[in-house]
Amino acid sequence: MDFDLKTKLAIYQHFATTGSRPSVEEVAARVSAGVPQVREAFARLRAQRVLVLESDGESIRMAPPFSGVPTQHRVIAAGVTYFANCAWDALGIPAALRRPATVHSRCEQSLEPLDLAVTEQGPGVSEWLFHCVVPAAQWWDDIVFT
Amino acid sequence: MLFFRSEELAREWCSETGHPLRPLVRMDQLWGLARDWYSTRLQPDSRRPQPGEMREIFARLGLTGEFWDPQSDAFGGRPSGPTIS
Repeated sequence: MDFDLKTKLAIYQHFATTGSRPSVEEVAARVSAGVPQVREAFARLRAQRVLVLESDGESIRMAPPFSGVPTQHRVIAAGVTYFANCAWDALGIPAALRRPATVHSRCEQSLEPLDLAVTEQGPGVSEWLFHCVVPAAQWWDDIVFT
Repeated sequence: MLFFRSEELAREWCSETGHPLRPLVRMDQLWGLARDWYSTRLQPDSRRPQPGEMREIFARLGLTGEFWDPQSDAFGGRPSGPTIS
């Protein structure tokens, strides 16, 4: 298996299992490689838009749909708490895990809490809406803003 | 990319923050996006949808127009404002 793919799978497996981001050392141990080699793989995955890294070049900010940092979009599945990068990714986590989950977020204007049960077939009927300010052609101009 | 309880509240938020109101997406459509983008993300053969595939996904979910075109040049620079993710 290609080293970058192996690295990507190790990252995603860590998020799926723990809900949190792995350190470069944890990924290195998982793929039986050196830290410098994994750091280089992180950079390549960033260039391919698989990951978004913090300014230190190695802390994972995003491995969509997972967020490496706490956000207002929290997802609980099988007792594990995950953070999503945005409203879209909040539903993306149960889709990726293929597991029932509860999405906890809020209405950005009224701050009313959203507690949404999601099964493997999706959420039930809900009148809540999703809004994105940035057009699709510009999402990756600044993915953190998007 | 945010949740709103109603269209009225989304309009209020846009008005107060100075952001344009974009097409609103229903929860069933959002689930379609989440599923099509991420359902294979933990698999070895997963990859991000390419522009043509993105257009197909959006169209299948009824999301059409320049806003959803990943290669559109109809919009200017990135909207300015607070970080919203």
